[in-house]
Amino acid sequence: MAFTPYDWQQTLRQKADYVEDRLREGSPVVGLSCHEGVLLVTVRRAQQQKIFEIYDRLAFAGLGNQSDLETIRQLAVDFAHAEGFARSPQDVSIQRVVGVALSPAMKRSFSDPLRLPLVVRGLFAQVGETPESDLFYLLNYDGEFSLAHRFGVAAGTEGAREAMERLCSTRTNKKILKHDAAIELALEAWAVGRREALAESASDWRAVLSQALKTGGTAEAALLERASRRERRFRFLSADELKPFLPV
Amino acid sequence: MSHGDFAKLLEAYGVPGFAWAVRLRRLAAGEDEAHAQHADGVWAHGTTVIAVKFDKGVLNVADRRATSGNAIFSEEAEKILKLDDETLIAIAGSYAAAFEAVRFLQHSFKYYARSQLQEMSLEGKLSEVSRVLSRSLPGALQGIGGFLPIVSAFDKERNEGRIFFYDVMGARFESREFGAAGSGAERIRGSFEYIVRTKGPFHTMTLEEALRETLLLLEIAASLDTATGGIRQSLPLAKTVTAEGVSDVPEELVRSIQKALVKE
Repeated sequence: MAFTPYDWQQTLRQKADYVEDRLREGSPVVGLSCHEGVLLVTVRRAQQQKIFEIYDRLAFAGLGNQSDLETIRQLAVDFAHAEGFARSPQDVSIQRVVGVALSPAMKRSFSDPLRLPLVVRGLFAQVGETPESDLFYLLNYDGEFSLAHRFGVAAGTEGAREAMERLCSTRTNKKILKHDAAIELALEAWAVGRREALAESASDWRAVLSQALKTGGTAEAALLERASRRERRFRFLSADELKPFLPV
Repeated sequence: MSHGDFAKLLEAYGVPGFAWAVRLRRLAAGEDEAHAQHADGVWAHGTTVIAVKFDKGVLNVADRRATSGNAIFSEEAEKILKLDDETLIAIAGSYAAAFEAVRFLQHSFKYYARSQLQEMSLEGKLSEVSRVLSRSLPGALQGIGGFLPIVSAFDKERNEGRIFFYDVMGARFESREFGAAGSGAERIRGSFEYIVRTKGPFHTMTLEEALRETLLLLEIAASLDTATGGIRQSLPLAKTVTAEGVSDVPEELVRSIQKALVKE
């Protein structure tokens, strides 16, 4: 089979359209720096976990096909642990995991016309010594990635992402939130992204969240603790911890 | 696909895990005789590490001395290490082998939990320790590079602390009250039994009582074994594992008991 440059371009476009179509209604994920660490928040369907621990200071959340999220997650976990043992845990950074291990491999896979594209948009987060040194990397299905500070979001559409970023940017302007305020903002950002992606008309973000929770959604949140005595800094917030922030 | 097996992952990534094990295999196969002849005395050895139960879990104490032949390498060695947030390991024997093994185990547990999205069971962790020990067997048989660990964990299902010790081939045994390893431990073995029979079992003691007994045991071990630092030179290391996980015994508490014992 021979490919002309035209076929190749066409294939990429079709692949991108295919992926975008499937991501459109995906549930957004929000990452926020707060005093206590890095918070990751989303709403998942049933038991499909969307937030994952990658390494000592690294976590991952994303939307897309569960099997593709799993592929990315396992690659990241494998690379981080092999590197962490070969050198030291301090040498496993978000830049190396996303920029060196994942991005080029995803780009290769995406540009191969004979391979099915990964339907995934992921957000990686790294907790630092201070909120200012926390890092967020947004990794796209085509292998492209971008860096963000203070907060990072991944959503199904451009519009949803922009709306969420606008909200987070205004609310975190020149200040670092405390744990509780961060959870509240993250949930609001999630709902704003959701509303935008589904072109819903509800004006109150709480109504959007409440609707999602009533129709089989479960709020999922995890914290990468900044100052922890424990080896494992990643922990999920329990249902009891989240309850006060959710609409009844 | 490694299915959570960290050794397989390292193979796939071409990471030379267990560099010491490879070296020791060569030594054992006689391929590296020049080194073998000098190896005796190069490896850090003797010590005393102790694990005893107390009313809330398990207490581990160890002296801080690392020796090589009759030279003292360090008076600040740490021989009680965290395998994870719920498990402690106390090591006696070759430092190189033990440290590499502990690093491997730490990563292996974390890797399993993160890749498989479930915690490794206590049983799984204990078998992993066995596997690591059997890998260091060639070194152990040569009298170099072998080490003996004592693993302490809090069993959440049974709601009690548990102590496990191993032989050089990786066979695992569980101890009801106490475990000890190292050259000094051999010499004080009978004292544990004496304490249990005269003062009652360790698992009924408070942390302070257990700490007092074990520090005294360390002091006795040091008086019988040159490779054990005891409690006078530097403050011994003391850690506990309880339902809340692993934690350090506050330095002030160790210091106050140490002072009282030294005065007696």
